[in-house]
Amino acid sequence: MSSIIFEAREIHYRYPHGMHAIRGISFHIRKGEKIALVGPNGAGKSTLMLMLNGMVRPDEGTLLFDNLPVSYDRASLRILRKRVGFVLQNPDRQIIAPTVYQDVAFGPTNLGYSGDEVRRVVKESLRYVGLEGFERRPPHQLSGGEKKRVAIAGVLAMDPDVLVFDEPTSGLDPSGSEDIIELLDELNLAGKTIIISTHDIELAYPWADRAILLVKGRILEEGIPEITFGNPENIRMASLSMPILLDLYLELGKRGFKLPERKPRTVLDALNLIDVAFQNLPCSRPGAITVHSVDRSNEECIMAWRREHPGGALGAMGTRAKQHAAEINIPLDFTYGVIDKCILKALLGEDSLIITTESMVGRVFERVREFGKENRREVPVSRS
Amino acid sequence: MHDELLEDIAQNNGLREVNTWVKLAAGLGCILLCLLSGSWVAPLFIGVVLSGTVLILARIKPRIYFEIFIAPFTFAFTSVVVIVLVTGGSGVFWSWDPFPWLSLSVTRESINEAVFVFSRVIGGMSAMIFIALTTPMTDLFVVMRQCRVPEPVVDLAMFIYRSIFLILDQLVLTYRAQVMRLGYGSFRESVRSFATLCGSVFITSWGAGEDLIRAMDARCYEGKFAIMGESNRPKALPVLALCSFFITTVLLLILTKDFTVI
Repeated sequence: MSSIIFEAREIHYRYPHGMHAIRGISFHIRKGEKIALVGPNGAGKSTLMLMLNGMVRPDEGTLLFDNLPVSYDRASLRILRKRVGFVLQNPDRQIIAPTVYQDVAFGPTNLGYSGDEVRRVVKESLRYVGLEGFERRPPHQLSGGEKKRVAIAGVLAMDPDVLVFDEPTSGLDPSGSEDIIELLDELNLAGKTIIISTHDIELAYPWADRAILLVKGRILEEGIPEITFGNPENIRMASLSMPILLDLYLELGKRGFKLPERKPRTVLDALNLIDVAFQNLPCSRPGAITVHSVDRSNEECIMAWRREHPGGALGAMGTRAKQHAAEINIPLDFTYGVIDKCILKALLGEDSLIITTESMVGRVFERVREFGKENRREVPVSRS
Repeated sequence: MHDELLEDIAQNNGLREVNTWVKLAAGLGCILLCLLSGSWVAPLFIGVVLSGTVLILARIKPRIYFEIFIAPFTFAFTSVVVIVLVTGGSGVFWSWDPFPWLSLSVTRESINEAVFVFSRVIGGMSAMIFIALTTPMTDLFVVMRQCRVPEPVVDLAMFIYRSIFLILDQLVLTYRAQVMRLGYGSFRESVRSFATLCGSVFITSWGAGEDLIRAMDARCYEGKFAIMGESNRPKALPVLALCSFFITTVLLLILTKDFTVI
């Protein structure tokens, strides 16, 4: 079990104009977890998030970071804010500087990094979020998704352990949202603890390791998403709607279908569940998944795979992988939910190739093996 | 959100990657040469060359360029008409005394003076517009820092620059919301809507300012603001081209110093 990085003990907060925003909340967050704070507007999500990097100080109760109570003197706050990066809902409110480079360099410069170090971390952060070459662009010329990425790069440049995102996908189109969620997964795989606030339950349900349901400044439910969102009464009280897949599972159960205990979180899980319920076997021999790392192999490997597998599906995970595919002019069949979509293809007996970064290769193997173990259906996966 | 601004055009111009000092030297040098010129030839030459550079090398659309030029051109033209009519001289072509205290005439000297002033305005304006269209503010901040302008001044300028676009967006949004609900239907309504617009934008700016402080605090602000160094060193070709242009203009300036139209 990972160690606890945040712990709140009976915290309260009242705004100066009297609104009681947080009413006795206790919870803990472990290192490396993906946490979703879910609740309707006015539930206290944003206030709670602001507490996590010391922007708001609780009136009562204790907030512990790395097992120590948060101190609010200047020096302690500086350390806390370096370790807990905050990405605001509206990137225009977060981007300070007149150019992308200057904005990303803002944190490291104020942390006293040397000029060379600042240049290095800015380059790395922009590369991470897929904005290489944007250094001299002014923020007002960027799209909503690009601004969000600049805001994330600005926080990443300070190398925080915890990343807090207030409504990370608000104002973005579906593809932009998927890109951001994929980026959050990538960051989590790199060891960062990710905390998001959202009222988009369909986003939080498949993504989070644990979800906290907040209503009127109180925690209504806390646990794995299946538990947090599985109680229709709680969902009604939070003025939200149940995730479609969970709803489907419950309705199938009510109709007497014999379903596995594990509730579906993705389309892949749901289809698998339906296959089990109807004793359906789409094909006798599953197709193979090949993983191509853009950091290790060259484009010739992709071309060779395409020649060997005419009609095979191609997917790219991560911004750099998508950029690479665009540069070498390869049409992609999948750009989000890539691993699950490739497993679905494999279950139909079709082969597929996943283009991704080296850091994400392990995630592909892990997910495919996890699926095989859970469903006793082995899907072959290998590197190109 | 808003229409294309001069700054947006400058950010995407064809000479964006040319060293900022070279572009500033070209613009400011040309203004100086226009002031030093004794005849209309050199300023007009400067105007033609810089306009060609802006249109061909910086790839600015001719329509945009001429739209920008209309205001100074109109101003220069009206001034020239006045100069032609009120400047006296010996070689009189036409004269009229509408009042005992006012005499209008067109003379050899007045025409020469008007053409000289007009070409200087055109040359000077071309240089100003050349700088505006090829050098974005973000590059000028680097130059300001290199020129040792006090840091608080440069930092403040950068915050103002960033805020202008945020406030402009808010202004456009509020204005559109008002127009959609017939906010500018009558004179009385226009005055009322304009006042509301100003109030709303003021409050938004105030909020944006507070957010800015919070955003800076969240990123450990300690009074330091990074600035991107000049990434493009001066290249030989632009420097050589600029030097030969200056030499040609100076020679022209000397050789044609006594040139007149008539």
